[in-house]
Amino acid sequence: MNAPDRYERFVVPEGTKKVSYERDTKIVNAGSFTIEREDHTIGNILRMQLHRDPNVLFAGYKLPHPLQYKILVRVHTANQSTPTQAYTQAINDLDKELENLKQAFEDEKIRYEERPKQGY
Amino acid sequence: MERAAGGVSYQRFPRVRIRELKDDYAKFELRDTDASMANALRRVMIAEVPTVAIDLVEIEVNSSVLNDEFIAHRLGLIPLTSAAAMAMRFSRDCDACDGDGSCEYCSVEFHLAARATDSDQTLEVTSNDLRSTDPKVCPVDQARAYQHALGGTEPFDTAAAADQRQHPLPCCPIMDIIAKKLGILIVKLRRGQELRLRAIARKGIGKDHAKWSPAATVTFMYEPEIRINEELMETLTLEEKRNLVESSPTKVFNIDPNTQQVVVEDAEAYTYDDEVIKKADAMGKPGLIEINAKEDSFIFTVETTGAITAYELIMNAITVLRQKLDAVRLQDDDADLGELGAHLVGG
Repeated sequence: MNAPDRYERFVVPEGTKKVSYERDTKIVNAGSFTIEREDHTIGNILRMQLHRDPNVLFAGYKLPHPLQYKILVRVHTANQSTPTQAYTQAINDLDKELENLKQAFEDEKIRYEERPKQGY
Repeated sequence: MERAAGGVSYQRFPRVRIRELKDDYAKFELRDTDASMANALRRVMIAEVPTVAIDLVEIEVNSSVLNDEFIAHRLGLIPLTSAAAMAMRFSRDCDACDGDGSCEYCSVEFHLAARATDSDQTLEVTSNDLRSTDPKVCPVDQARAYQHALGGTEPFDTAAAADQRQHPLPCCPIMDIIAKKLGILIVKLRRGQELRLRAIARKGIGKDHAKWSPAATVTFMYEPEIRINEELMETLTLEEKRNLVESSPTKVFNIDPNTQQVVVEDAEAYTYDDEVIKKADAMGKPGLIEINAKEDSFIFTVETTGAITAYELIMNAITVLRQKLDAVRLQDDDADLGELGAHLVGG
């Protein structure tokens, strides 16, 4: 009867920002991003991509509660970079990786269909 | 403020090798990426690639033994051909129909009318009795039957198609469905009972309800790397070798009949159960066999419900994941605010 609507899990409510950034009050070049209506799918790839950046001193994410449909991504970088810069770079790199993967799949499918069928 | 664009790239270039590709099944290797990417793809395939499924049912007459909501639920679970789903609109953000979710951009209407007349046999109402108003969207087995009737071959399965020509009556279940025109059973009607309804199918994702999930199973495993210490292995008797080979619950190892050496027969049969390693330790030969999971190499198996092909599922998953990443980009005002905030706090 009082169950929340199922779409609340993935539709960002009106008036809420998808991503918001909050600087750490004590540490320079540190802060956390709050991403609304996202989960481990995005959280984990972002975290792992941020780890590839040598300027990133710390990157972690958490899903605070299974019924709060948001994740927190915390980033701490060295002086040469900023959390926003590292975050944007991570997304760009992931996007390029996926673009590349898509092309790889298309090429591989063509190659697969031309490959002589091995009888078994 | 466009500092971010100047950063160095830490991008990876994953490689792919398709091992098997059928209509509703795919097996492939994914290399040079990490588990987070493999898992993100798996999660997106299961829960976020859109399909079309029956979502709203208006029952006109139902004198069957199943109640209305039971039938509505069963209708929802019937896989519908969803090749067009990526281009469709979600009815919640369709502005052509003021949110009532019943226009051509966001929905497909179905009709079903069945009545058991005077015969003594029970009438089986199946997905074949559903009449679609859009030929692109229909129950999966209707589409297969139609394709079969046209003499069309399955898109990617050339081997099976060739096989079909040689053996005109294959015995796989999907062919049975077509041959007997079975379809997916919805309800059985006794003499005099009737079912008449109108149903609306909408685009949705598996996160909302599992009926929209195009995936039957999507799994990946790390590729195992098995190393046998041949020098130590030589110290074993044939009997001991047999015991070692037998200790694995799956058939990973075998003994070469000619050389009587232990060889890896099927590395991928290994389930990371550690049994052979424990056995080697128990035999007093630690380090006899070493097995490591390659952390950047994955073997995927993808099976679909038939709503979309396995290849479409993979490609759509990549597209959806890119859309998701795009949605979590910092907007310009966010970036400005961040910089402004820096000045405010710093100054």
